[in-house]
Amino acid sequence: MKEKLQPKVLVLKTDGINCDEEMKFAFGKAQGNSEIVHVNELRSKDKKLSDYKILGLPGGFSYGDDVRSGKILAIELTAYLGDKINDFINHGGLILGICNGFQVLIRTGLLPFGTMGGMQATLSNNDSGKFECRSVNLKITDKNACVFLKDIEGKIVSYPVAHGEGKFFAREKKLEKIENEKLVVFRYVDSLDNPTQQYPDNPNGSLNAIAGICDPTGKILGLMPHPERAVEETQYPNWRRQRIMNKPIEPEGLPIFKRMVNYVNQM
Amino acid sequence: MSIHEIRVGQKERDTKGEGVFHEAQRTVGASGLEKVVTTRVYRLEGTDEAGAEKLAKKLFAEQIDQVHTINKPLITDAQNVIEVAYKPGVMNPEAASILKAAKDLGVNLTAADSSTEYGFYGTLKIDEINKIVSRLLVNKTVERIIDKKPKTLIIEGKSGGVRIVSIRDALEEQLADLSKDKLFLDSQEMQVIQSYFKKIDRDPTDCELEIIAARWSEHCGHKTFKAKVIVDGVEKPPLYTRIKETAKKYFGNFVLSAFEDNSGVVKFYDEQAINGKVETHNSPSAVEPYGGAMTGSGGVFRDPQETGQGAKVIISTDMFCFASPDLNPNRLPQGTLHPDYLQRRVVAGVRDYGNRMGIPTNNGSVHYHEDFRAKPTVIVGAYGILPENRVQKGKPHIGDLVVVIGGRTGRDGLHGATFSSGEMTDRTIDVNSSAVQIGNAIEEKRAFDALLEARDENLIRALTDCGAAGFSSAIGELAEDVGATVDISKAPLKYPGLKVWEIWLSESQERMVAAIDPSNIEKFMKIFKKYNVEATVLGKFDGSNRLKVAYGDEVAADLDYDFLKYGLPQRAMKAHWEKPHFEKKEPDSPTDWVDTLKKVLSHGNVCSKEPIVRQYDHGVQGTNALPPFTGKEFDGPNDSVVITPILGKPYGMVVSHGMNPILNKIDPYWGSIWATAEAMANYVAVGGDPDEAALINNYIWPFPDKQEMGSLDKSVDAVVDCMNALGRPVVSGKDSLSSTYRGKDGQIIKIPPVLAISVFGRIPDVKKTVTSDIKKEGSLLYIVGRLSSDMGGSTFYDINGIVGNEVPKVDLKLLPKVLRRMHEAIKSGEILACHDVSEGGIIGSIAEMTFGGNCGVEIKLHIAFNGAPERFLFNETAGTFVVEVEDDKTANKMFSGLPYIQLGKTTRDKKINVKVGSNDLFSVSTDELKQVWKKPLKTIFG
Repeated sequence: MKEKLQPKVLVLKTDGINCDEEMKFAFGKAQGNSEIVHVNELRSKDKKLSDYKILGLPGGFSYGDDVRSGKILAIELTAYLGDKINDFINHGGLILGICNGFQVLIRTGLLPFGTMGGMQATLSNNDSGKFECRSVNLKITDKNACVFLKDIEGKIVSYPVAHGEGKFFAREKKLEKIENEKLVVFRYVDSLDNPTQQYPDNPNGSLNAIAGICDPTGKILGLMPHPERAVEETQYPNWRRQRIMNKPIEPEGLPIFKRMVNYVNQM
Repeated sequence: MSIHEIRVGQKERDTKGEGVFHEAQRTVGASGLEKVVTTRVYRLEGTDEAGAEKLAKKLFAEQIDQVHTINKPLITDAQNVIEVAYKPGVMNPEAASILKAAKDLGVNLTAADSSTEYGFYGTLKIDEINKIVSRLLVNKTVERIIDKKPKTLIIEGKSGGVRIVSIRDALEEQLADLSKDKLFLDSQEMQVIQSYFKKIDRDPTDCELEIIAARWSEHCGHKTFKAKVIVDGVEKPPLYTRIKETAKKYFGNFVLSAFEDNSGVVKFYDEQAINGKVETHNSPSAVEPYGGAMTGSGGVFRDPQETGQGAKVIISTDMFCFASPDLNPNRLPQGTLHPDYLQRRVVAGVRDYGNRMGIPTNNGSVHYHEDFRAKPTVIVGAYGILPENRVQKGKPHIGDLVVVIGGRTGRDGLHGATFSSGEMTDRTIDVNSSAVQIGNAIEEKRAFDALLEARDENLIRALTDCGAAGFSSAIGELAEDVGATVDISKAPLKYPGLKVWEIWLSESQERMVAAIDPSNIEKFMKIFKKYNVEATVLGKFDGSNRLKVAYGDEVAADLDYDFLKYGLPQRAMKAHWEKPHFEKKEPDSPTDWVDTLKKVLSHGNVCSKEPIVRQYDHGVQGTNALPPFTGKEFDGPNDSVVITPILGKPYGMVVSHGMNPILNKIDPYWGSIWATAEAMANYVAVGGDPDEAALINNYIWPFPDKQEMGSLDKSVDAVVDCMNALGRPVVSGKDSLSSTYRGKDGQIIKIPPVLAISVFGRIPDVKKTVTSDIKKEGSLLYIVGRLSSDMGGSTFYDINGIVGNEVPKVDLKLLPKVLRRMHEAIKSGEILACHDVSEGGIIGSIAEMTFGGNCGVEIKLHIAFNGAPERFLFNETAGTFVVEVEDDKTANKMFSGLPYIQLGKTTRDKKINVKVGSNDLFSVSTDELKQVWKKPLKTIFG
């Protein structure tokens, strides 16, 4: 019974990954049974991906983000786990990539179109040319293809961003396809809740204000902002102001993790 | 096998090229420059063209937004193309990643390297290009321009080799020559070494001399702080003794470890402890700011990490002092770098190391004074958490193995310990450039991850970091109660060709040394393999009470610990402080108040540091409960950081600091009291508990001649008096006494003496903390605490071109009472906003509070201030607070019995209105002020 309520979550770690503990905490708070696993443990077969229901790719600077962000880990996953990741999805697994994890998913080709080994979009240097850490507002798009966020579509949420290479970019045709297939899940919005290209509301110049996307199965989600840093009230910069105004903050990152856990529990 | 070159360029925006273009225009003013285009160059050795092509497509270039060429140029139509690469021997961290990814793709390489090409378009004069290259692109210390394709990327050479140095018969001047630029010891110390080797009847090896010099260096030996001090003919106890003995009185059961490990450790909650260490990295940052700042961060992170049996590092802080970025280049002393370049590169170094490590950088400050043009001050702090039962470091047992962990050893950082103890001269950059390197944060991060797992498995007996003097200090210190035999031919090297003393003394970063019980070694090695970290057994702790170093069969050193530990003669330092006299002049009362306020707010020491802070990740680890900026537009600055180190628990750790170098130049005693009071006020202003706090003191002082020894003596007395007044101990500290510049032409510049006081401690509930942004309309502002009438060294004096002779004197008797009452008030939840008073004065604090609140304030000063309201508004007495409360009843209840004055009322209207009695003094829009306050660093950092 407990097994059913607490599905196993694999939080993947390797050299330079540094948001693994907060991701583990977020899944734990959402009643997931999360465990940090080193990529070498998967390569050596000490651990098996198929034993887990959710795969989390946390933020950080995997292998120093050498060559391009997430590139080296993306090549490693493609080379050693390619088939296993496809099996994992086909058997009802979910994947979440945050920040560096999103960059990895893009560079494996899993996002946007599930074409492992062939990239269809990219994440490039912020238009500002620099790393930046700040809060942004996002809209969870209406009627998107993601299978586990159905009941919170249309919501506005606030998460922090902390990255230097987060500009979502794809060629026109691909971008159209992404939009037509409803793969955009998060967009940066301005104070009027409208998608925006304006800095700093859109912190990196992402095309179509894209902050996060899913694959056509709706089971792989990647985003640049950090929902795992928005699972506690005190992680919000202005939680004191909100309390004084009698509008205490409900952490808006937690629902993402909860819904992933609920989804795999219902499968 | 030949080398293949792959060049990768951008189809879309080239933000790196745009950045260089912008910087070139701003700093060199190159008007003929139209654009800058960059490409990455990858060189591969050990594969054929097909392999190179595969890697180009799969690894290096992404067709969506990049273009590439193989073995031919990519930029073909620029006026000039310049390629910049690391020098051979400076490890390029990217090379290892390229080898790994190539292997994953089925291509085996023997070597790889990467570099950057810059294409300049337009009509530039040759000297403009040279200026851009030398000021913006190439730091000759670590980089070079590539003008032809290299034949190979592999460095050849033969390692080993020990030289005997005849010193038994050396004359005094020969000893002096040996010391200069190399050993940095004084003549008395050189003679002690000479007579020791006469006594044991042999000459030392080069390695042995280096071991002694490093161990006895100011950097490792703290000779000045341990010296007898003769103040005006009267002997006083050593500075170190005074600090330590006073501190001990206040350890209670709060302090778990102080002055004996790599950091100070105090109690936290749930059987956890927190620890802190603050370091300086001035000398390396002065010659190679990017690498210097990186290795400064990397080094200070290893201190809390390598405390006890290992801690997790959870906070990083940074405090910088530079000359103004718009310093006229003609004012630059020979052999120094421009502050604009220094500042940008130091910030980049701190950013790139901290962000990659995943350690939040969440507290810091920047200070400007022209005298820092001779040498910047770069202070970096790091804090950690560890279980209470892992706080005590074990001692190596006889038979334990000496294991080196982490990065490989190269020729980096040689003479770092002795170099940083020497003074900066016009020759520093040329002679000592080998003392700097580029850090590799990923290497350190994975080593930390592995160490924490090994700690939790209970596999580590003792652990220390390879800092200054490398293996020599790390192994030397670990072994000092038992002795050790090591064979350093086993040490993994970055490249061959190192002499034995170079391996032994190398300060290559990201290395640690552990003592491991042989029965645990297998488990230990398995963990390190999992994390891709090299761990190598070099020898063992052997009970000989000697330090024996061999390279294979060759003996490199065999020294008696008694001589190393006790041979260094104690110095006697004469001290006499002559109070400097600055022009006796008082500034006039401002005629244009708004203009004066704008000048204060745009002063470097006051202006917004947000463009720097936002480049640091302060949210990683998910622990931040009080970020550097909050408020309606997320731009109101806060005084300290509060984190929740244990996710899901309410426990808070608070960290703050205080410093104001210019005050110490005027008066080291009161300047140091000010720094301590500011640190404590910052700590309390957010909700820190003044009775659960520990202090860290860092001295960055000019060379201790009689005058500076005198000022140091005063400053230490001040810290001792503060400890006694507050009842709080110093638990860690460091000194760096080389802030004097000597130029060829006899020019001497003393950098302002810096005392940085850092404070850290615990609170049971982070919900009981407060920010600086004004929360409500119609609430009241008060100033709490006693103001000094003196304003020497203040921003207001500075904008009037006046130094002053009397600095603000903090009422030390009253201070603890104010701090405690403020803490109680914040805990009660009735303080809506709080900001301490420091540079920029009371009005500066008020302005910053309105910036966060996006509101205004009506200030009414009592008629009594009519004489000189500027002495109130711009007053910078540390240890005082501006607070926002609902009404006067609340204020009276909170603060009765303390000096406190009502300042005025908050308004929705975004204006600061100031009245004296019923007369209007001035009125100004807060939006306008905010813009002025934000502008200076926005111009530099964008």
